[in-house]
Amino acid sequence: MNTELSHWLDHLLEELHGVAISRTDSRRVRVDVAADALPALLELLEGHASYIHLSAISCVDWIEAGEFELVYHVWSYELKSLVSAHTRIPREPGLYLSVYDIYRPAAFFERDIHEMYGIYFSGSPHMTKFILTEWDGPPPMRKDFDSEAWVNAHFDWQDYHPDWLRDIEAQGGGIAVHPDEQRFSRKQNP
Amino acid sequence: MRPENYEAQQHPPSHEYELNFGPNHPGIEGNYALKVRLHGDRVVEATADGGYLHRGFEKLMEQRLWIQNIALVPRICVPDPAPMEVAYSMAVEALCGLEVPERAQWLRVLQLELSRIAAHLFIFGGHGATTGLYSNMYWGIADRDLLLDLFEELTGGRVYSIYNLPGGVRRDIPDGFLGRVSHTLDYLESRLPDYDNLFFTNPVFITRAKGIGAMTVEQALEWGVTGPNLRATGLAFDVRRDDPYLIYDQLKFEIPTEQAGDAWARTLVRRQELLQSIYILRQVVERLPTLPGPIRVPIPNPLAWNVPAGEVYVRLESSKGELAWYVVSTGGPKPYRVHVRGPSSMHAVQVLEHLAKGARIEDIAQIMFSLDACPPEVDR
Repeated sequence: MNTELSHWLDHLLEELHGVAISRTDSRRVRVDVAADALPALLELLEGHASYIHLSAISCVDWIEAGEFELVYHVWSYELKSLVSAHTRIPREPGLYLSVYDIYRPAAFFERDIHEMYGIYFSGSPHMTKFILTEWDGPPPMRKDFDSEAWVNAHFDWQDYHPDWLRDIEAQGGGIAVHPDEQRFSRKQNP
Repeated sequence: MRPENYEAQQHPPSHEYELNFGPNHPGIEGNYALKVRLHGDRVVEATADGGYLHRGFEKLMEQRLWIQNIALVPRICVPDPAPMEVAYSMAVEALCGLEVPERAQWLRVLQLELSRIAAHLFIFGGHGATTGLYSNMYWGIADRDLLLDLFEELTGGRVYSIYNLPGGVRRDIPDGFLGRVSHTLDYLESRLPDYDNLFFTNPVFITRAKGIGAMTVEQALEWGVTGPNLRATGLAFDVRRDDPYLIYDQLKFEIPTEQAGDAWARTLVRRQELLQSIYILRQVVERLPTLPGPIRVPIPNPLAWNVPAGEVYVRLESSKGELAWYVVSTGGPKPYRVHVRGPSSMHAVQVLEHLAKGARIEDIAQIMFSLDACPPEVDR
């Protein structure tokens, strides 16, 4: 990594209010930033520090803290380093700004997060369904969405006893797991 | 397929009409659809429509033990499954601070590069078929089968190898395996002139592919294009060289580029990459016998394994571009959050929509196959 540019970047980030930087290795930088300063930070990184490639936007649901964590991974082809900018927004009402005007690829990731977590990005061009076109339930990737309970509430259990299975079932085996005995149950944290 | 979702768009009176291209269409890769607005045979606007393959991997992984997920991850991308398991294993290793033995890293490179060649042969076959060159498809699939034989011998699985574990790989190479790898590599290299005659320098293919779906390097960077598609616009960037992982910094290989950025250039880059993968594999074959040592480090009881809390972002170069995994652990027996960034989430959605605009209807398949878009990665 170009050390001169890297020092310049550190200097730049220090000037932003409320930014904490930690370097995990020579090509990875973690930045923790307040939600209202994040677009300004990305604009600086994109416009003045050559971080022109938005690798991904990841969302983590910290349900106990009542917060969503948004992580913007941006890569610089010149500095050969990846900055992960972490920010947190309140879980309710789940509203944030789009960075589409800085990074075009954001449109896909923001649409994905909108579908899966229900966060609305104002200014994002496609706040519509893409993958879950026929889905009318709550956003499924949220931690309080219980897929097993959803299945039990919306689908019927069917008995399945073909001839070849009868002998096995007579010995106590079988395929179907009774709803009360399911392993990955919501009851894991009673 | 699902007409209730296709609300008729209100257009002013014109000669435009709307066509549902996919999800069951030979010109579409996988189960994927494009909603195309046409004026004559010219595309006015194309809208990607995914979701036909959504299996909810990210949610499923949160409900399974760290070790159980190993069997799940290669299924995210069918033509090129090896990078998925390597990326997941690397993420868990980074969280646990596990040092992977050198021999295991070389074995992983062996698996990754074999998988890259298999994926390229697969896409050459599919791409040839979009221009009516079906022999190319038969040859590509038949030659890919030789690599699947090697996978079967090494791992027991032909497509989904499930060869990696956090901490290393599952088993060592069988006796005489490297000889058979060398033999297959020699055979594949000797086949390349035949492929050139059949496909890469075929006037039919050149006429159909040249100038189709062209983008400049500025556009590619703006749209988040990675991998061979980016290299076809002239930028020599490869995660293996510029953000190295495993032992790629010890290997000698070149990064092929082209300037035109069109369907033909993208295919040529893949052809040269296939050759580079053969060179890499020859280095692996030469080096592996000199590396003693274990092929994995011991891990705790996998059924009661609490991976330390933390978060990690792992990137690697799959045959389609930059593949990245974001994994978060809270110190529990299961992942707290897993996010997969497949390279095709850019190529199959925004880039395809941009490039299809203004193209002719018969070129859409050409554009999609030349981008090597993999819908299962988009839907996850």
